[in-house]
Amino acid sequence: MVRLLKIEWLKIKNYRAFWIFSVFYLVSIFIVNYIAWYIEQRTTSEIPESTVILGHAFSFPNVWQTVGWLSSWLLYFPGMIIIMLMVNEVNFKTHRQNIIDGWSRQQFIGVKIALVVIFSLLITVINVITGLFFGFISDTSFSLDGTSYILYIFIQALAYLFFALMLAVLFRRSGLAIIIFFLYGIIFEWLITALTNFQFKLSPAGYFLPLQASDVLIPIPFGKKVFYPDSPDTSILIIAVLAYITLYVFFARKKFLIDDL
Amino acid sequence: MSMSTVLSINKLTKFYGPIRALHDVSFDVPEGSVFGILGPNGSGKTTMLGIIMDILKASSGNYLWKGQAGSAKMRQQIGTLLETPNFYHYLSGLKNLRIAAEIKQRGKEDIEKVLQLVNLWQRKDSKFSTYSLGMKQRLAIASTLLGNPGIMVFDEPTNGLDPAGIAEIRELIRQLNRQGKTIIMASHILDEVEKVCTHVAIIQKGELRAVGSVKEILDTKQVDETVIEIAADDLTALRNIIEQINGLLQVIVADHQLQVVFSNGITAQEVNRFCFEKGIVLSKLNVKRRSLETTFLEITGTKSER
Repeated sequence: MVRLLKIEWLKIKNYRAFWIFSVFYLVSIFIVNYIAWYIEQRTTSEIPESTVILGHAFSFPNVWQTVGWLSSWLLYFPGMIIIMLMVNEVNFKTHRQNIIDGWSRQQFIGVKIALVVIFSLLITVINVITGLFFGFISDTSFSLDGTSYILYIFIQALAYLFFALMLAVLFRRSGLAIIIFFLYGIIFEWLITALTNFQFKLSPAGYFLPLQASDVLIPIPFGKKVFYPDSPDTSILIIAVLAYITLYVFFARKKFLIDDL
Repeated sequence: MSMSTVLSINKLTKFYGPIRALHDVSFDVPEGSVFGILGPNGSGKTTMLGIIMDILKASSGNYLWKGQAGSAKMRQQIGTLLETPNFYHYLSGLKNLRIAAEIKQRGKEDIEKVLQLVNLWQRKDSKFSTYSLGMKQRLAIASTLLGNPGIMVFDEPTNGLDPAGIAEIRELIRQLNRQGKTIIMASHILDEVEKVCTHVAIIQKGELRAVGSVKEILDTKQVDETVIEIAADDLTALRNIIEQINGLLQVIVADHQLQVVFSNGITAQEVNRFCFEKGIVLSKLNVKRRSLETTFLEITGTKSER
C-alpha cells in the first residue's frame, strides 16, 4: 500500500487545484473559528448573563464540540478535492491507463479509499490543532473531557469524504457529483430532516439520513434541544454512520470493480 | 494451444446494452509475430483490446496471456497504447512517465532513453497539456517501451502523426519485432497492416472474417490474374502491340502509363520481350502484386459497407 500511496502522491504533488483548495480549507477553518471566537468574547464581556444560555463555547472541554461543529460546514472543501481527484482520472482516462500499466482494479480503488482515510485523519489533526489554539487563547486549562468529539470529527470526515468518493465513482462527472454533493448536503437533507421530524412527526427517523447522522454526532454547541430535540443516542448514531460508510465503500468499490472503465 | 502462443482469445463476445460489439471472436497470436487486427472504425478492435487489458469486461468468452488468465502482474510486462494517449494533463512528460514506470514496477532507468528515442527529451519538462497531438502520441509510445517489454499492444499507433512520424513509428515497430518482441497492432489502415504485419485478423461488425499470416490471407483469395503497369514514349503504339498478346483481359489507360490485366501464365519478362521484338522499348515495367486491399474488400464486401 505504501508503494501505491507513493504513486498517488506523485499525482497529487503537482496538482495546483489540490493545493489551492487545501489552503482555502485551512484558512477558512481559522477564519470561521476566529470570527465565532471573537463574537463569543465580545458577547460574554458585554453581556455576562449570556453565558447562562450560550455557555463558554471556546473553553475546554466545550471547544472540541464548537470547533468540530463550525469546521464541519467546511467539509465540502475536502469533499470537492476527493471528487476532483477521482473524476480527473476518468477525464484523463488515467484510471484506464493505470490498469493497463499494471495496477489491478482493486489496487486503484483501494488507494483512493486509503486516500480518504488519510485525508480524514489530516482533517482531524487540523481540528485538534484549531481546538487547542482557541481553547488556550480563551484562558482555560486543558482537560481530557470532551475529547470524544475528536473521534466524532474523524467519523464525520470519513462519512462526508466517502460519500463524495461514491458520488464521483457513480457519476464520473465532477460538475454533476459536486452539485449533487452540495445540493443534497446543504439544502435537501435539511429539508427532508425537517419535514420528517417536525412535519410528519416521524422523529427520530430524520436524524438517520446519510450525512445528517454524522452531523447530529456533533450538534450545535448551544440550543441542541431546539435543533435536535429527541436526537438518538450517540452510540446508535455512530453505528448508523459506520453502516453508511460501509455502504459508500461497498458501492464505490463494486462499481469500479465490475463495470467497463 | 502451442507453447509459442502469446495471446489466445476464445469466443469473446461483448454487448454494450443491446448493441453487439464483438461476437464470438477467437484467434491465437503466435510469439514473435506482428499481429495486425484490421477493421474499419467501430468494428470492435478497440473493444477487444480493452477486454484483454481488463478495462472492459467481456459479456462472455475468455482470453489467456501466455496460457494464464490476465492479471495486473502480466500487464506490467506488456507495453500498451490504447486508443488515445492517457496522461495527467497538469504533469510534465517526464513526471507522467515516472508514474507509469512506478506502476509497472520497472523501467525507471529507461525514462531518458525512451524519451530520447521518440524525440521528446527536449520537451520532457513541459506539461502534457501543451503537447501537440503528435507529441502526445509519441509520449504514449515512449511509455509503452518502459522496461523493455516482450509483448507490445498498439491501437492505431500512427494516429495523429505526420508522414515522417508515421514512417518512424512503422520502422520502430519493425525494429522492435526484429528484437524478438511480439506486437499486436490494431489498425484501420490496410496499407499499414500490409507494410508492417506478419499476421492479420480481419474484423467486421464485431465478427472475425479471416485470420492467418498475411501471406496465407493473400493466397487463399488468389486468382489467376496478373496486373502489370507499363509505359513507353509512344503510348498509342504500345497499346496496339499489347492488344496482340493472347490472354489480355483489360487495358486501363492511366496518366502516362497503361495498366494491363492478363489471364494466367503471362510474366513480365514475356511482355517485355514481346514489346521489344515489336520495336517498342518500355520505359516502365511494374508487376502489381495483389494487395491486401483487394483481398480485404473481397472478404468484407463492398467498400461502403462496414
